[in-house]
Amino acid sequence: MKYRFTKKAVLLVTLLLLLLASVGGAAAQDPVTITWWTLASAESPEPAIRAVVEAFEAEHPDIKIDVTIMAESAYGDLMNTALGAGEGAPDIAYFWETPWLPHTLDITAHLEADPDLSRDDYFEEYFNNWAVWDGKVVGLPFTVGANFVMYNKDVFDDAGVDYPTADWTPWDYIEIAKALTDPDKRRWGGDRPRGPFRAIWRNIGATKPYSDDSATVDGYINGPDSVAAYTWLWDLVDSGATPTPADIEVLGTEGTGPVDLFIAGRLGMATLNNGHMITAANAGVNFGVVPEPHVPENERFVHAWALRASIWAGTEHPDEAYEFLSFWAGPEGQRINMEIGALMPSLPSVLADYPDAESDYFQGFMGVLNATQTAEWRASHPCWRGAVIRSVSDAWDLIMLGEIERDEVQATLDALVEPAQAALEECVPRLGG
Amino acid sequence: MLSAWRQMTPQERRGAKTGYLALSPWMVGFVIFYAFPILATFYFSLTQWTLVDPPVWIGLDNYVRMFTRDPLFISSLKATTLFVALSLPLKLVLGLMLALLLNLKIPGMNLFRTVFFIPAVISGVAVSLMWIWFLQPDTGVVNTLLSYIGVRGPYWFWDLNWALPSVAIMSIWKVGGAAIIYLAGLQNIPAHLYEAAEIDGAGKWRRFWRITLPLLTPTLFFQLIIELIDAFKIFTEAFVITKGGPLKATYFFLYYFYEEAFRNFNMGYASALALFLLVVIMGCTVFVYRTSGRWVFYEN
Repeated sequence: MKYRFTKKAVLLVTLLLLLLASVGGAAAQDPVTITWWTLASAESPEPAIRAVVEAFEAEHPDIKIDVTIMAESAYGDLMNTALGAGEGAPDIAYFWETPWLPHTLDITAHLEADPDLSRDDYFEEYFNNWAVWDGKVVGLPFTVGANFVMYNKDVFDDAGVDYPTADWTPWDYIEIAKALTDPDKRRWGGDRPRGPFRAIWRNIGATKPYSDDSATVDGYINGPDSVAAYTWLWDLVDSGATPTPADIEVLGTEGTGPVDLFIAGRLGMATLNNGHMITAANAGVNFGVVPEPHVPENERFVHAWALRASIWAGTEHPDEAYEFLSFWAGPEGQRINMEIGALMPSLPSVLADYPDAESDYFQGFMGVLNATQTAEWRASHPCWRGAVIRSVSDAWDLIMLGEIERDEVQATLDALVEPAQAALEECVPRLGG
Repeated sequence: MLSAWRQMTPQERRGAKTGYLALSPWMVGFVIFYAFPILATFYFSLTQWTLVDPPVWIGLDNYVRMFTRDPLFISSLKATTLFVALSLPLKLVLGLMLALLLNLKIPGMNLFRTVFFIPAVISGVAVSLMWIWFLQPDTGVVNTLLSYIGVRGPYWFWDLNWALPSVAIMSIWKVGGAAIIYLAGLQNIPAHLYEAAEIDGAGKWRRFWRITLPLLTPTLFFQLIIELIDAFKIFTEAFVITKGGPLKATYFFLYYFYEEAFRNFNMGYASALALFLLVVIMGCTVFVYRTSGRWVFYEN
């Protein structure tokens, strides 16, 4: 009896072990699933996203990609919720908000060990500004975007004005705009900047709104360089060579610049971006591209951006997630998006194959991609973007409305120091400098 | 409540249970979507919270900042109060006038009623974009019409003095919705009162003041509260058109709340702002309710 029981027990244990082994074996063979939240756009449309997944899975049968294509309006809320809860965030996503950065995985070691991809493969400025944070590599820059001046050659020819060249100054810009302006033809020479401390502020005098340690406003926002930049704006508004904010609001494309006026030939020059450049090219506009003007003795800056493709720090599969990230935001994935969509890749070797890459205007665009970026102020300083810019917007409005005289610029900026300092002191302890 | 329950007969208890069961979907919705978020907002208003990091308890600091050292709180409250003061009478009076017109017995009135109601159901963003065109200083419809009579129209949304009135004027766009409510009230006034007054020799004006307006006060009361709450919640126009400018002229309270919460990642302070607005609206509503006994007349 005892023997029979032992025999049965051994049989049972053996069966259980076999079962466990088979389950374990199956688990080992199951592909790892990586979740990916992304957005569809003209640059990266849904077919391109699907093609990236298909190509990656074909190369990596042991990794499955569970992609969710979201509406942009919902994306921020969902990321905030998931990151705030500490669970349910995707393995891979765009981490574009600064408060999301502490929740990204440090991929420095992964990238250094990657035989197929390195930081040198990317445009240096884009990598430094969009992939590196706090001394760590926290993502890869996906696509490139930049502002530059597009000039309508037909308008210049009509007015008998020479085309601008890369060595032009902000004051040249005003003079050229005045020369191009023709009220009879309802034509303005150039547009106005759409916010302070963008490229032209830096190009006039390396102007910053506050100190590098995010502690002091006085002497920066009201310093001589800032006064020079705001005075330049005053001169531009006073010239009458630019559309008013009301004109831009009505006739320009929603929030992104007066591309419609430019295409219609009613604006000789406009500070636009690469998306507008393709729109103008498709519309058959005869145009050229130059960097925004700068003072020759100062370094040239460009207002630029990229999407930060990152891995969530809470991922259970960091190695597999990196495999996909480096594919999607590496040469293969960005090339797929360029060929199916209209993405401009952040890798020079891939962007060189863009359909219009040999054209004059595209070469002009390529010229701005290596310039130093103003991104440090626009994106990396959340307190500037949120609290401080709001407290200094009054100077901007006063100049745009023509409510102050030229010699009142300094006093107007002096008056901003106190509210800007208060905003900075409230924000920095909360969001960091 | 417990003693009342004990005093019920079994049949009454069954009826009460059925009643509570029927109420429960609303009650559950109320607790989940209203009561809990309000309580959570109160908690978050006592914290510093960036949305993605855990809230940090700071006690009453957000309220202290709000009342003692936040100039934007004052300017946004001022802009909102001015807007309420401008738009509320406009909407109430014009809504009533429109309803009186829509109450006339002329052919095709149903079509007119539909046409005037349609703007009330169009999305606020679409309406805002349309008004940008209407009020564009150089090429807009309004200034073009004004130019025909020799008037140089203002810069509307882009003028320091006209920006807020422009948003108030824009709010008239939705007056058709209020008119429909008034219309229902007008049609509830018994016709025999008008007939008796007419026999007594009362003219149209006297009938309006002595019959229509007093008997319409319950509807006016309802509209006043609804429009008051709606006016305090002004946001879309500032978000789409003015971005709070120029010079904070249209920096409305909810726009400030939005900027604090979603641009400045200051959800704790934004929660305090939201609660303050709740208290203001509740206070105004209670005030109107308390005074209603003096000016609202019911037929019975």
